[in-house]
Amino acid sequence: MINMAPESLDHTGVFRALADPTRRAVFERLMSSEMTVSDLTSGFEVSQPAISQHLAALRGVGLVSERRTGRFAFYKAEPAALAPLVDWIDRYRAFWPERIERLKDVLKGMDQ
Amino acid sequence: MSDTAETPQDIVLDYELDEAPEKVWRALTRPELVAAWLGPNDIEAEVGRRFSLEPTPGKPVDCEVLEADPERRLSYLWREADERGGAVDSTVTFEVTPTPLGGSHLRLVHSGFRAAGAGSMTDAANDNTLMQRSLKWAA
Repeated sequence: MINMAPESLDHTGVFRALADPTRRAVFERLMSSEMTVSDLTSGFEVSQPAISQHLAALRGVGLVSERRTGRFAFYKAEPAALAPLVDWIDRYRAFWPERIERLKDVLKGMDQ
Repeated sequence: MSDTAETPQDIVLDYELDEAPEKVWRALTRPELVAAWLGPNDIEAEVGRRFSLEPTPGKPVDCEVLEADPERRLSYLWREADERGGAVDSTVTFEVTPTPLGGSHLRLVHSGFRAAGAGSMTDAANDNTLMQRSLKWAA
């Protein structure tokens, strides 16, 4: 899962990547600006290798991208990668009202 | 809850129904009635009972009853396969409360979207709190 290329992005991977609270916090911080691993590490009580691992997991599902300049690597969030997850939930936002309308019809047709 | 704008939100829908809770409960728990609005199923409202449901032909959902408080509350696990062999778990809960005029208020909550096997985003936050509490007790 961690080594998945962004193009193999799937619902489960995005859900799983964001299930971890630290990883979610990393993603949120990278929403505000591009950062290096050490910028990121300063905001968390987590070691740099741990942050790097979280970044790798986030990059694996396309939630974070990396830009290299010389010996520096900059990371930023890719909110567009949340789309499959948002789509999944939106599908149910449309699904339930339609089914509840059917439920109402069922109730109308039931005997006492 | 520590969910933020970036994490998926729960789906919460509220309805006022003319029918009494007893009747609504039947429509939520009798297979032949559930089939008419939600899809073919073998539901049985008993905690721990697993059942299958096919809201969309060819896309079965594996369910397991988590809570069944007759005429009040029904909750089940909703496990749907994704296109890549993984599964997304969520929880569907129906809360039924009587209204003064003999009808029911129905609240539907579809929540806790998570990869099967991983903690939900809400669970993850709760686990964290639990862990901190355990550490305090241990100290």
